[in-house]
Amino acid sequence: MQQQPQKNSVPDPAKPAETGTPDASSEPEQVIRPEDEALVVERLRELGYIE
Amino acid sequence: MQEKPNIILISADSLRANHLGCYGYPLPTSPSIDRFACQGTLFENNFAPAIPTQPSHTTIFTGQHAITHGVVAHGGKAKLGRGTPFLPEILLGEGYTTCAVDTLFRERIWFGRGWEYIIDPSLHHTFYASVTQEELNAGAIRWIETVPKGPFFMFIHYWDVHYPYTPPDRMRGLFYKGGNPTDPNNHALDEWWDHPVGAMARDTWLRTSNGLVTDPNYVTALYDREIRYLDDGIAALCDALEKQGIAENTLIMLLADHGESMTDHRIFYDHYGLHDCCVRVPMIVRWPAGNLRAGSRYAPFRQLSDVTPTLLEAAGSELPEDLDGQSFLPQLTGQEEPSGYDKIVGLESTWQSKYYLRTDRYKFILARYPDLLGNPDRELFDLAADPNEDHNIASSEPQIAAEMEKELEAFIAQKMEAAGRTEDPVRKEGPVAVEIWEQHRG
Repeated sequence: MQQQPQKNSVPDPAKPAETGTPDASSEPEQVIRPEDEALVVERLRELGYIE
Repeated sequence: MQEKPNIILISADSLRANHLGCYGYPLPTSPSIDRFACQGTLFENNFAPAIPTQPSHTTIFTGQHAITHGVVAHGGKAKLGRGTPFLPEILLGEGYTTCAVDTLFRERIWFGRGWEYIIDPSLHHTFYASVTQEELNAGAIRWIETVPKGPFFMFIHYWDVHYPYTPPDRMRGLFYKGGNPTDPNNHALDEWWDHPVGAMARDTWLRTSNGLVTDPNYVTALYDREIRYLDDGIAALCDALEKQGIAENTLIMLLADHGESMTDHRIFYDHYGLHDCCVRVPMIVRWPAGNLRAGSRYAPFRQLSDVTPTLLEAAGSELPEDLDGQSFLPQLTGQEEPSGYDKIVGLESTWQSKYYLRTDRYKFILARYPDLLGNPDRELFDLAADPNEDHNIASSEPQIAAEMEKELEAFIAQKMEAAGRTEDPVRKEGPVAVEIWEQHRG
């Protein structure tokens, strides 16, 4: 099979990112507590996902 | 210029191919990666023959199918045999200075083989996957600028796209079409709470100033923002190579170990299930001095076991005999026409114990143990009519299913025999995480 040139449908890298919402500050803020990372580790350790 | 190329292997953990612009995603998640693809070769049909992270990276570094090397589960009991070829070890022996910017060796010892240098800024985090591209790049770029005196091989393992999806605040507002991310009447994520990883997400990173996130589209936007953040890191790394004057003879291979299911197939924001969203993975190679055709796209099937033989050939190394993968370097450099496999066989044995056989037209999935989602043990998808693999036609096309099952079992038996195995490693390992899932649901 022949190699094909890059498709023209690739988004223009220079185009500013689409925001979707009119005002980003109206979005809620993720609330990550200091203990959350430890909780993630604890849960994944229970699963055997991490040592 | 030194004769041997520098090699940088980038693994973007959990990066789903079709969420990148250069793979057709309509949102601008990846301007820099798209530009990178325009400078190299993009593989349109590249597959992970084992998922998730540990089996897949073991395949990447050994050039062997998981049935051969035996590491079929994340967190499973199997260990990699000491005599198994390992890419950094071979390149070290060939005179390369080797450096891993990675965490994997902390979980499985074989991932530490062959690295003269290991840089691990994740040590500053409680959870290693919380390490950011900026932290990894700081270590990687400083090392590139100061240490190597000859050809080097660097592996950089980015975790930004892996859960938890916690993009930096400057990404806020991107890719969400509006609505109410925390609508208490939206129950589209409720089923996820029955899974231990979903419950973990609910209890930690899905909490917002307005309450719990309930809108899957918002979670997908968080994932896409992580891609956009990673994209900045890829740009920074490429810029650093330019500034150092070594971009020309540096082969960069950017790939993912597996993709990510958003809510596809009732699998929420995780990487199991053998559908294309998880096993068809991005791979882009750029090597200006290697005469790759800029902006070319490679259509034939390739798989992650091809990475080691390809990079060894680029380094001018002899290939070990016991590799399953095949180098695509001659096709990449135009010495040969692009070619590939007519079928891919892959597996998983973490949340589910299954095999897949994928051809251009069909995907057949065979379970060794019943899965907890209640899917049938045999699934067949007509990818031409149903590219999202939503409609199991195993019952309506029993002959095709039977033929594919026979072909799959023959492949497994052949690989087992070649590896000297008497027991199917997926059957032997079983779904290693499923007991916890059952307990959680119970």
